[in-house]
Amino acid sequence: MSDYLKPLPPITNLSRPYWDSLRQGVLRMPQCRACGLIFYPPAPLCPGCWSRDLEWAALSGRGTVNSWVVFHQAYLKGYDNEVPFNVAEVTLDEGPRLMTNLVGVDNDDIRVGMPVQVVFDAVTDEVTLAKFAPVPGWQP
Amino acid sequence: MAGDTDRLRRLADQAVVCGVGESAYGRRLGRSAIDLAADAIQAAVADAGLTKDDVDGMAVTFGSPLGADADTLAFALGLELKAYNQTWAHGRFTGTALQWAAMTVAAGLADVVACLAAVSFTGVRRLRVGGGGDREGAREGGGGHGEDPVYGMTSPGAGAALMARKYMARHGATAVDLAAVPMALRHNATLNPRAMYQEPLTLDAYLGARLVAEPLRIFDYCQVNDGAACVLVTTPERAADLAQPPVYLSGMQGLPAGRHEFIWAYPGFGTAQQAETDWTPGPQPVHRMAGVTPADVDAFFTYDAFSPLVWLALERWGFCGIGEAFEFTRNGRIQVGGELPVNTNGGLLSEAHIMAWNHQVEIVRQLRGQCGDRQVPGAEVIQWGNVYGDSLIYHR
Repeated sequence: MSDYLKPLPPITNLSRPYWDSLRQGVLRMPQCRACGLIFYPPAPLCPGCWSRDLEWAALSGRGTVNSWVVFHQAYLKGYDNEVPFNVAEVTLDEGPRLMTNLVGVDNDDIRVGMPVQVVFDAVTDEVTLAKFAPVPGWQP
Repeated sequence: MAGDTDRLRRLADQAVVCGVGESAYGRRLGRSAIDLAADAIQAAVADAGLTKDDVDGMAVTFGSPLGADADTLAFALGLELKAYNQTWAHGRFTGTALQWAAMTVAAGLADVVACLAAVSFTGVRRLRVGGGGDREGAREGGGGHGEDPVYGMTSPGAGAALMARKYMARHGATAVDLAAVPMALRHNATLNPRAMYQEPLTLDAYLGARLVAEPLRIFDYCQVNDGAACVLVTTPERAADLAQPPVYLSGMQGLPAGRHEFIWAYPGFGTAQQAETDWTPGPQPVHRMAGVTPADVDAFFTYDAFSPLVWLALERWGFCGIGEAFEFTRNGRIQVGGELPVNTNGGLLSEAHIMAWNHQVEIVRQLRGQCGDRQVPGAEVIQWGNVYGDSLIYHR
């Protein structure tokens, strides 16, 4: 049994490949073979052209911080000793945005537009989360 | 475009508000949602000069577990409804309910539709919006306000904070700029004996208050509370010999959804999965339907659960340009007596959070000239318009 107290993702048939690939250390998102759109969250068809011819494309794992917040109030189980903690919205180089946490950076040093790259955090045997860290060489 | 406008005009002025009413507003009132709803509905029916048996339709926007549902209300209050409707329990559906009511009376499916929400937030033990009870965040496809509890992202206010950070970084707005919004609405509340918060809010108090989801402070959040407010919609013909002058629903614009929308940002803003573009709103269907422009609007009302929502609503509805609202809201411009009074009741931020049904009640009273110290002189056209893209234009 895991002692991980924080919420875990609801995994459906649509999202299972996403979580399976994170567990394998790859960030993948659905890509439409017909029009090329890469999109998130997973959907049963391409939201651009309605093609059902989809594949799971491996992404670069690179992006930039679009915005972020710092929680000063612990709402959720498992967060009592973590405030203040950040939640960031990252725009991936391929286009989609992901909610995430930034690691390896002080909350006071986070900036809109800072370049980041994915790191994999295996929080349980089944679930690995995609978190993001500043790219090597980045200075606040 | 002309044909489109003709079609829009079909429903213009085909429905009116003939009565408004509310319960007491407050925290820990110790009263159930059905109990509070009864006060609001009875007050609205009395205001209109109608009786119980005249009410034959109902639209509820926030039902169980925190609010009263339409079917149980009909049962408890002895109403015989021909048609009722109820939305997902969210504050955003106030305009949607009024639009449904207008269509319903115009089509003859009902004569008098009671539109309301009745909530008892503090009657529920250990309630918190967000957190362990964040069932919405665990919804397939994600939370309605950007919730993603897997990363600790929870509560509607955090979604507003995420939008506010991006807005402030892009346009150079500061915490002092943001403070002007809750301070203006608090000023309005000092003129409203029904408001939950009537003490003026100072800049020092704002800046010294605790951060919740930074950059938002506690005064950027509305409170959760108990109360009910009701608006009665009927036809102009039915309203002709009632107790109050009718207030017309002249323009409407529905609630949009899609990948270009996010509840706390207009298209092009570039949050959630929106493209980031130089989108500008331009004239909107609600303006064409009502035959007005933003310059004709005497007061503006908007869903202000969090103070930055007011900025984006002012921009979305064309009162200032994109990126200009943080300057527009300085110097008391949006308070009673200012150039464009906003939420003269004090809003969700300072009057009460009745899913903005309290805002609709205030709009109607402004257009009747019944608002006392906070009356907007000569108010003829008032717009309800939201950051999330729906709108109503009321006309007396």
